[in-house]
Amino acid sequence: MKPNQVFSVPSRDLTRPQFPTLAEIGEKFRLGAWTLSGLGLLMLGIGLATSPLHAWANVLMTAFNLTCVGLGGLFLLAIQSTTGARWSDPILKAHRAMPALLPIAGLMMLALWFGADTLYPWARPEAHGDHLLKGRLVWLNRPFFFGRILLFFGLWILLGRRIVQRGKGSAVFILVFGVTFVLANFDWIMTLEPAWNSTIFAIYGFSGMFLQGIAIVTISAIVLRRVGLLPEISKAQNHDLGKLLFAFSCFWAYIWLSQFLLVWYANIPEETAPIRLMLNSKWTPFFYLNLVLNFGLPFVMLLQRKAKTNERVLMVACFTVLAGHWLDLYLMVLPPVLKGASPSFGFSEVGGILLQFGLGHMACWPVFMKDVNPEQELPQAG
Amino acid sequence: MRNTDAITLTRFRASFADPHLLLEAVKRLKQEGYPIIDTYSPFPVHGMDEAIGLKPSRLPRACLAFGLLGLATALGVQIWTSAYDYPLIVGGKPLVSLPAFIPVSFELTVLFAGLGVVASLFVASGMRPKFKVPDLHPGVNDDRFVVAGEIQAGASFTVVQSLMASLGALETELLVEDKSQTDHSLLDREAKPLAFLLAAIPAVLVLAALPLLNRNYLKRNLAWDGGMMAPVAYQSFDPHPSLPGGQVLQTPPAGTVSRKGLVPLPFGPGKVEAERAGLELKNPFQPSQENFSRGKLVYDRSCAACHGLDGDNNSSVIVARGLLAPAILVAPVVRNMPDGLLFHVATFGGPQKMKGLGDLISRDDRWKVVLYIRELQRAAAPKPLPAPAPSPSTGATS
Repeated sequence: MKPNQVFSVPSRDLTRPQFPTLAEIGEKFRLGAWTLSGLGLLMLGIGLATSPLHAWANVLMTAFNLTCVGLGGLFLLAIQSTTGARWSDPILKAHRAMPALLPIAGLMMLALWFGADTLYPWARPEAHGDHLLKGRLVWLNRPFFFGRILLFFGLWILLGRRIVQRGKGSAVFILVFGVTFVLANFDWIMTLEPAWNSTIFAIYGFSGMFLQGIAIVTISAIVLRRVGLLPEISKAQNHDLGKLLFAFSCFWAYIWLSQFLLVWYANIPEETAPIRLMLNSKWTPFFYLNLVLNFGLPFVMLLQRKAKTNERVLMVACFTVLAGHWLDLYLMVLPPVLKGASPSFGFSEVGGILLQFGLGHMACWPVFMKDVNPEQELPQAG
Repeated sequence: MRNTDAITLTRFRASFADPHLLLEAVKRLKQEGYPIIDTYSPFPVHGMDEAIGLKPSRLPRACLAFGLLGLATALGVQIWTSAYDYPLIVGGKPLVSLPAFIPVSFELTVLFAGLGVVASLFVASGMRPKFKVPDLHPGVNDDRFVVAGEIQAGASFTVVQSLMASLGALETELLVEDKSQTDHSLLDREAKPLAFLLAAIPAVLVLAALPLLNRNYLKRNLAWDGGMMAPVAYQSFDPHPSLPGGQVLQTPPAGTVSRKGLVPLPFGPGKVEAERAGLELKNPFQPSQENFSRGKLVYDRSCAACHGLDGDNNSSVIVARGLLAPAILVAPVVRNMPDGLLFHVATFGGPQKMKGLGDLISRDDRWKVVLYIRELQRAAAPKPLPAPAPSPSTGATS
């Protein structure tokens, strides 16, 4: 029984000569990935020489975003495995490659050891004299901080491997993920401004991560179907992915507002400071652009049922979301690091973005290549 | 609308035990050219809409319209009430502060869209009380998956039956229209006036609310006393059934330092109150050297400028300037006033120009000043020695 056959749109036939073979596509992808990563590293290097503040901030952004991609894929996989979902069978191959990013992202996070005092106020020697930070230094100190990074990535990689290779341990992963991802958000992003806190911050981070994960899965599914690698993907999957994207775009906006509204309404000085900067400075247009990219545009674009099944509309919406998530992270990381200076877009930013694309392809492609091998049988959900 | 009489014996239904068999059967029937009336299943079968060839539903449009209506209603009500009808600054925010309106707008959008689309579904599909799908297979609420179709002219039922059986149908039968059921619906009977009445209720309610929208701010409003104007709490001096001492106000703990000084002075300003003070108050201080010296000090500082150092206006500054002369303290009229009255005048002011000094001079000091004034009067008395005889008769009643 194959319900998807009913609506399957004509897909490309690999045996026909006008389409590239698997090896040719792989070669192209690999070349592109290496070029992008090399260029990205070069740009980040220039950035490090000219403005270390921006460069380290972008290393953090890149590492965090790659973590988000990896965890996004893993989390989707885990949900579908726990719920025994069948609709996603054809696109699982696109998910399964994403966790391969986690080791690279982990290494990049560990590389922050050298830039910690540039980014994090608590890592500087003068933090010991700061009465606001005094109690928090128990939790926020270099050995413990990087120890936690090691622990988190260790757990994610181990549990992720178990899910990807054997289709087991999804429920355990979801529990572990819930705790570790919350702490990771608090640790890596929120402590850039250690005196500021928001209890919903981790959920906000999660909503962005999940939204981006769906966008990337959708993009990969569409691209791979177009080049003929995942011919079994049909309109039904596109529709489902479109619905997920639409729903979690709304979810993101819901959480965004939940954080913003309380800070805005309560107007407690220590909480309001970052929002005030956002509302009354050169950051303001980007603050609103963030809402438009992550919520406004996808909402309007995907409202119709027709749009959710239209690959072109879906692609545009997904790339809007990707740009939105990058901007979201930029707005989380840069303002506290720059201490209120105006936004800027330089070598480091370009480098970070190129590196994300390059490393993303480099890590995911080999895993995916193994998966699309027709002899390979996917592990069934347990 | 189908003409039910014409097709009564050309409709059939086939039931299956599996949704996938049903899907296959529907596709096969479509292929063979049998019109499908509908399918019935305990849960939605994935892909069935496309297999039957249903057009995309128009309900999303109703959903969008109702959602926008809800959004407009929520924003309209909030902006109108909080910025125009009763402008009230809350939390230092602007009158029209959109972030604060978002939660309500969101909820009302969802509410309107949800209820509206369900209502639209009912209206569009003719759903109403006692509505029954004609001759529905009893198993479709449980474990049966049923397709109903029509037999074209020229085809026979046995052909359909064998086709369905080959596709795994549990049973295939001809449908018999149960006409008696269709006559029981609410709208088909003589219920139309009632329906119009029901529909008019919201309109009447809206009309009734119109006077509220047209308010005149120059007229006194009718206030709704929600019970907040009369507090139910005990007042300080009320008796209390269970507190120690039987009253609400408790004695402060030992060693408590009073912020204001003494217990409340139960008098107000005015002539009547002054006379009452004269009757009720006694000077708590006895004549002594200490009290006299304190009284003299305060008198010389605060009173002598107008009344003169000896209370006879001789050294009065304002008299020297030719202004209104104050009362002569050593005069018989004042001499015959009770202590309490003098104290009241010192506290709240006199009947003419004198200001009350109650908030400048402490209560004890005012009493000591009264003592000192009596001393001044005694000192001044020897001169008009024969005078005391007539003075009581004139001053006692004042």
